[in-house]
Amino acid sequence: MSVSSGKVIEVTDLVKSYGSIKAVDQISFQVSQGEVFGMLGPNGAGKTTTVEIVEGLRSADNGSATVLGIDVARDTRAVKERIGIQPQNPALFPSLTVRETIRFFRSLYRKSVPTSRIVELASLQASRDVLFKNLSGGQQQRLSVSLAFVNDPEIIFLDEPTTGLDPQARRAMWEVIETFRRAGKTVVLTTHYMEEAQRLCDRIAIMDYGKIIALDSPQRLIESNIKESAIQFKMRDYPGDQMLSSLPDVSKVIREDDDVIVYTNNIPSSISGLLGMASQRSTELSELSVRQATLEDVFLKLTGKRIRD
Amino acid sequence: MRAFSAVFISYYRQFVRDRGALFFTFIFPIMFILLFGWAFRNEGAQRFDIGLVNQGSPQSTAIITFALDNVTLDSGDKLFRLESGTFDDMMRSLEDGSLDAIIVIPASMDSSLDQEQPSAIEVYYDPTRISNQQILVPILNQVVNGLNQYLQGTTPLITLDEETVQSRELRYIDYLVPGVLGMSLMFSGIYGGLPIIQQRQAHIIKRLGATPLRRSMLIFGDLAFRMILVLLTAALIILVGSLVFDVQMVGNWFSLCGVVVLGSLVFTSLGYLMAAFVKTEEAAIPIINVVAMPMMFLSGTFFEITSMPSFIEPLIKALPLTYLNDALRQIMVDGTPLHSMTTDVAVLAAWVVVCLGITIRFFRWD
Repeated sequence: MSVSSGKVIEVTDLVKSYGSIKAVDQISFQVSQGEVFGMLGPNGAGKTTTVEIVEGLRSADNGSATVLGIDVARDTRAVKERIGIQPQNPALFPSLTVRETIRFFRSLYRKSVPTSRIVELASLQASRDVLFKNLSGGQQQRLSVSLAFVNDPEIIFLDEPTTGLDPQARRAMWEVIETFRRAGKTVVLTTHYMEEAQRLCDRIAIMDYGKIIALDSPQRLIESNIKESAIQFKMRDYPGDQMLSSLPDVSKVIREDDDVIVYTNNIPSSISGLLGMASQRSTELSELSVRQATLEDVFLKLTGKRIRD
Repeated sequence: MRAFSAVFISYYRQFVRDRGALFFTFIFPIMFILLFGWAFRNEGAQRFDIGLVNQGSPQSTAIITFALDNVTLDSGDKLFRLESGTFDDMMRSLEDGSLDAIIVIPASMDSSLDQEQPSAIEVYYDPTRISNQQILVPILNQVVNGLNQYLQGTTPLITLDEETVQSRELRYIDYLVPGVLGMSLMFSGIYGGLPIIQQRQAHIIKRLGATPLRRSMLIFGDLAFRMILVLLTAALIILVGSLVFDVQMVGNWFSLCGVVVLGSLVFTSLGYLMAAFVKTEEAAIPIINVVAMPMMFLSGTFFEITSMPSFIEPLIKALPLTYLNDALRQIMVDGTPLHSMTTDVAVLAAWVVVCLGITIRFFRWD
């Protein structure tokens, strides 16, 4: 079956409820071939449920999901044959070695990549005969991610692929994902790391309470939501939102625990106002920084939560 | 088929790398056979070690020895193993248990025989040992009676032909080996539910759900591996019984394999049933023990259960291991063919059907 207009994933009016909770509430989106599509949202926003319905791991109450032109609900196995999945936590047989695990997964698919290629992808050449349970957390994570490639899939779904990896391994994993995309393949990525999302994703869907509340490229998400810059600091004796809002050119004030973020249209006037207020109240400002708005700010603005909560 | 063999091989690899599973499958039952077989080697064995203390002449000793030697088992073996020595030596052996009884031939016997006077032979034995009271003393009485008749030259008008009910003498070890086999089938079957719980708990089953693997393949692979495993266990148990204690498998080997597989299915489905209701490994292990341990004893694994309070009787009659042990003993000890054990087979099959039925209704993969 040919894929219409290069769309490899088409989700229409998807609904999934657990009791009275609508985990997925009328979601629709499309993913094009060769795209890295990011899903962001606080825990419980419905990202995982949505992705699992698309992968054929769960059934929807209503709506449809089509992957590579195949209705997932109708021919789940045909879909699974052509996609690769990395679940959030590595879940593999504890007493099989790296190579045995890869061979086991290879034998589940009609088409597969050589075992040595997957070992290489996971950078586990030196540990290829080590039992899974004896691998370090990062090694387990690398194997788990690499196994998503075992059937030479057309789409991979990665759920927090770099969690638990050191910075070097994380960059290596980004390379792998970018190489995969250059081969014309599609990636659906769930992540908590804004830097990762900003660097890798062509488009990002931000989810909250079972709905997609924003969907665009990272750059346009920032530009369309936040025109201001951000001044971030910690402050003893917090004077209250109102006091800070009354500073010159300040458009919005957000407080997260100790951190205060002030969004401004004019950095110099807001900063001098802030410093003046601080010395007047003889209170201390620490960790003061001025920066362009990021995805994190967009996320905070749209959901009222920080991503790491 | 590739997926099936992959599942099978992965179960095999995980099993051989699990020392606990290896121990409980192979070493544990063998340990039971060796320990119990050794500890109760004389129990039920109709064979006695007799110490002769000879204070009389060689002639009277010869008469007694001849009379004792003439008592044989159905197999043609002698019932008594004789050794002689001083009274003190023999007494020590009796006390440490290496002798079952001492017979003292008094010095007065020669003269008594010559004068045709009654003469007393003294017998020492431990009356707390049931086999002594029930078997040894009556037989010795018979021996003495026979000897009297022989010496007086009279032929008894009435003799009692003792026919044992069983065609072969049943030793304790013959009773034990099928019981240990039944027990190990029970343990490996019920514990067979554990990997499913562990894999579900560790989200491995969910991970496999993301591949084209059919979930039924996990069950088929598990069952196939388990069946081969229990047949190997059975072979090992029977081999050790035969080599160490000369326990013979009297019945048909195909019948035995059939009952082993059926029995294993019963307890494997019981294990699956548990996996349908118990979510965590930590909760499962105590439940397994609470089910398996009493069943092991109540179903007559080690000893025949005779004098139980009447309220326990129905429970014993409901336990599948009772029927499995019975079927295994009938085949191995009596050589009963499979088709004449309809009750055992029917009850075991009913257990499989009921357990699997409930499992299919309530089991969840995630």
